[in-house]
Amino acid sequence: MKICVLGLDCAAPEIVFGDERLVNLRRLMDAGMYGRLESVVPPITVPAWMCMSTSQDPGSLGVYGFRNRTDYSYDKLGFANSASIKAIAIWDQLAREGKKSIIIGVPPNYPPRRINGISIGCFLTPDTVKNDFTYPPGIKAKLNELVGEYPVDVKNFRTDRKHWLKEEIFRMSEKQWKVVRWLLSEQEWDYFHFVDIGLDRMHHGFWNYFDEKHVQFEPGNPYQNAIPEYYLWLDEQIGSVLELLDNETIVLVISDHGAQRLDGGFAINEWLIREGLLVVNEYPKTLTPFDKLNVNWAKTRIWSEGGYYARVFFNVQGREPQGVIAAADYQSFQDEMKARFERLADDKGQPLKSLVFKPKEIYRNVRNVAPDLIVHFGGLYWRSIGTVGHSRIHVQENDTGPDGCNHAQFGMFVLAAPNCPINGEYEGARLLDIAPTLLDLAGYEIPESMQGRSLVAGLEKRSAGGQSQDGNAEKTIHDRLSGLGYI
Amino acid sequence: MPKKVIVIGLDGLEPSIVETMLGLGELPNLAKIRQAGSYARLKTTSPAQTPVAWSSFVTGTNPGGHGIFDFISRNPETYQPDIALSHFAPPKNILAQTRVVNRRKGIPLWEPLMKAGVASTVLRCPCTFPPETLHGRMLSGVGVPDMRGSQSKGTFYTQDRAASAQENEQLIYLDSGMDLTTRVLGPRNTRQSPPSDTYSEIGLRVAKPARTLVIQPGGDPATIEVRERAWSEWIRFKFKFSRLQSASGIARFYVRQLEPHLEFYVSAVNFDPAAPIFPVSFPTTYAKELSEKIGLFSTLGMAEEHNGLNNGRLDESAYLQQCELVLRERQRMMQFELDRFTEGFFFMLFDTPDRVQHMLWRFRDPSHPCFDRDLAPEFAPRIEEHYAQCDDLLSCVLDKVDEHTLLIVLSDHGFGTFRRAFHTNTWLWQSGLLKLKDNRKPNEDLGEGFAAIDWSRTYAYAVGLGGIYLNFKGRESAGILEEGSDAERVRRAIQTGLADLPDPATQRAAIRSVSRREDIYSGAFVENSPDLLVNFNPGFRVSWHTALGGFSHTLLDDNIRRWSGDHIVDPEAVPGILFTNHAFSLARHNHAQIIDLAPTILNYLGVSVPQSMEGNSLF
Repeated sequence: MKICVLGLDCAAPEIVFGDERLVNLRRLMDAGMYGRLESVVPPITVPAWMCMSTSQDPGSLGVYGFRNRTDYSYDKLGFANSASIKAIAIWDQLAREGKKSIIIGVPPNYPPRRINGISIGCFLTPDTVKNDFTYPPGIKAKLNELVGEYPVDVKNFRTDRKHWLKEEIFRMSEKQWKVVRWLLSEQEWDYFHFVDIGLDRMHHGFWNYFDEKHVQFEPGNPYQNAIPEYYLWLDEQIGSVLELLDNETIVLVISDHGAQRLDGGFAINEWLIREGLLVVNEYPKTLTPFDKLNVNWAKTRIWSEGGYYARVFFNVQGREPQGVIAAADYQSFQDEMKARFERLADDKGQPLKSLVFKPKEIYRNVRNVAPDLIVHFGGLYWRSIGTVGHSRIHVQENDTGPDGCNHAQFGMFVLAAPNCPINGEYEGARLLDIAPTLLDLAGYEIPESMQGRSLVAGLEKRSAGGQSQDGNAEKTIHDRLSGLGYI
Repeated sequence: MPKKVIVIGLDGLEPSIVETMLGLGELPNLAKIRQAGSYARLKTTSPAQTPVAWSSFVTGTNPGGHGIFDFISRNPETYQPDIALSHFAPPKNILAQTRVVNRRKGIPLWEPLMKAGVASTVLRCPCTFPPETLHGRMLSGVGVPDMRGSQSKGTFYTQDRAASAQENEQLIYLDSGMDLTTRVLGPRNTRQSPPSDTYSEIGLRVAKPARTLVIQPGGDPATIEVRERAWSEWIRFKFKFSRLQSASGIARFYVRQLEPHLEFYVSAVNFDPAAPIFPVSFPTTYAKELSEKIGLFSTLGMAEEHNGLNNGRLDESAYLQQCELVLRERQRMMQFELDRFTEGFFFMLFDTPDRVQHMLWRFRDPSHPCFDRDLAPEFAPRIEEHYAQCDDLLSCVLDKVDEHTLLIVLSDHGFGTFRRAFHTNTWLWQSGLLKLKDNRKPNEDLGEGFAAIDWSRTYAYAVGLGGIYLNFKGRESAGILEEGSDAERVRRAIQTGLADLPDPATQRAAIRSVSRREDIYSGAFVENSPDLLVNFNPGFRVSWHTALGGFSHTLLDDNIRRWSGDHIVDPEAVPGILFTNHAFSLARHNHAQIIDLAPTILNYLGVSVPQSMEGNSLF
């Protein structure tokens, strides 16, 4: 059986399952199984899509976000790319069994993975004109023929120019979905996986215009419907894809994480400075990103990288160049900091109820250089601000540009397969269960390396029966003609 | 200054009536237009049917160029009739949607307009379902079905268990009492096995003192009160396919009586313009935006409730009331769009004159088998009244006309009486060209759809509103006729046999002639047309049975339905009308034809006329 995966980056289950106008999605939901999908920690595009595809947690993949420490020095942050993750993915298993795959924009996919099939670069591609972002390279010319310049992202999506942003996102996605339809109908595939990144950009750009509970929300604003409009458009695109499939294809619509409002930003490095845990030689006069700070490493115990969540790093003797914390004290220090982060309050003194994770506790393996703690401020209702110079800890503006939302821990999935024994709403599905489930339904082996379990394991797969059609064609025709008046 | 072309279609306006009324000064706006420009009778298509004629209007070609030859087509694989205007394809797989395809082909004039960057507003044009991409806006017209998938099927509700369902309607029995529940039927759910009807539960309460029926439609609005013998507002209904999927439709109620027992009629359930189950506009959201501006409106192609009247569920007054509601919605739509129309092509069609004439003609024809002497004084004048109403609509159009505007008012065909119905298949059997199984004789009992035909000995069969198909080998699934001398013999037999065929009852000729498709059609889609077309004399038409592939024991009988006027006769006998505010001279062409309009419009707007268009610009 073929597998078609339509990834909607950041799609929120509340919207997907709640909007009646999404008729194609509803038809899929009725035909199959659907529900919230628990993402990984951290619930970020990189590494979440590869966690899904390999059924491995971030620690086992050794990738904890877009940028990771490449060693224990203080400033060697590297961008994850396609070479960062080598674990066996669904398409690798299919290749082992002689089957072809097409992956489009599944991050990180630059340089494009050389798979048994076609691979198209994701939003990490620096320049689609200059770079070879497709494998095989010849596909690039075909894409250009089809849509002109192929856009992988809307650069600078954290912008105030909302009208421009909306148009650019739609323009990008229109081109991408056109390529999707072409590939689906013209190229060979047994596994197809596309990730629409436009939705994530729409959320970040317009959530504060959409969510009534957002602090910045103004009723009657001109972009109130931008996000629902994009979902409706996506539903139409999904409908157009469903037309191209046959009855023997497993269809999965899925997101890597959800979306939720931002109540504010927690300037973690400011707080660390205030607590004496991070020491700077000179407090900056203007807002300064962490990597430009004049840090006194000999006195610093902790620092953090900002983003939707906080990666917290300890300065450990024998590990970091100018380590301060004794190795023997590591565990108790980690416990103490976890408790302190959990006790943090918002600007009104209310508990933030932040979630704090120790990598060893949440990952099966901890590879490469992991953060020492991962913090979701306010359960991700607050983002992490890495810059210093705010003179306060609770901040409303994002330091990297206007951004209306954070990621939510739960994404969504809708799975329709002719032989799927489960129908209706399903609770408790996790991102890592998806790949085993797909492989199980399609009749492939499930690699040992996959950590999740098939949701249909042990259940008898239904036979792919014929579709129920109205057998009484004559009556249908008669009904169609009736009432004409002339007859 | 940008140029404008405004085209107002008044479906079925008959020249003889218009000319008389012009003479009496009863159509002041049309008179003004004629004064400024010209009036002529407008040559229509073969056959003279709404979807055929308007398709020729938009493509500027004979029907062979656009492929619409009748409301009804036949499938040569199965010999079964089907609606010719659009094709519903079952979904490719269970996850996909049912697809609809517009069967009108050819190049409609909004295409070259779009290429030239000229905007079009095309409202309620027949054969534009599904709606097409153009530079501007479109709202589909005739061809859009109701939520049950038919061209128009209302429902009669009654507490009288003795009542029985008639043609083209649904009948639902109500429980006795004054507080009851019942259902409004929605689309059939064909994804279930066996297929089942979706429905919407409603509550009812009879309020005798107030003479109203109180309805709780279970949606929006929450309660609605309908007076006896009046039409309700549009009521929205939600039809659930499953826990997750539902569809929205709108319908009107007409309360026939509250006592001695409750009876009411629910119109065909239309697609909800705010959430149509198939798109009825371009852009897709346009229908919704329009409904937010002018209120809910009928999206159904055949929007007038003629079946309710045909079946006696509505009387003429109720029918005319509903036609008025349709007309007013259409007028609001036109006014709203004209207000923001600044350049390009504007098209609006009013269907109601056609429907009113179909149902009321018997009152102006004392020789009609259903002429009603008692009702005639009240209803005979209503057709002229309706024409005057249509003329009145043109006032606001004239306000928009300036020196850069070409205004065209036209009808697609004329009208006449329909007294006698011809059973073509019975004639074919009588002529030995069609054989029935088991030596059966033609009869109404044979039903529709040719179940009783012996195809191995049949050369020709009739289905649709005037077409005859030859049972060609290789084309029809059980064909026996070879092209060449055999087919020629059959054609000639039919042509000579039918021409001037007298009606035994009156000795008047029922049929003028029979045309061969080769003589009247040309173009890419001729293959889809009938082989022969019967040109009836005014007063005659194919029978109701013939249209669906049926028989009668006689050749001709009276048309006893209330649908008493028609126009599917020799096209020469039913030209339409053409008014333009710019003078044209007919010396060049002898007559104006409906295929001349598209070239005329393109030419006026300075857009080159595609090769495919056969007509000539009038100016």
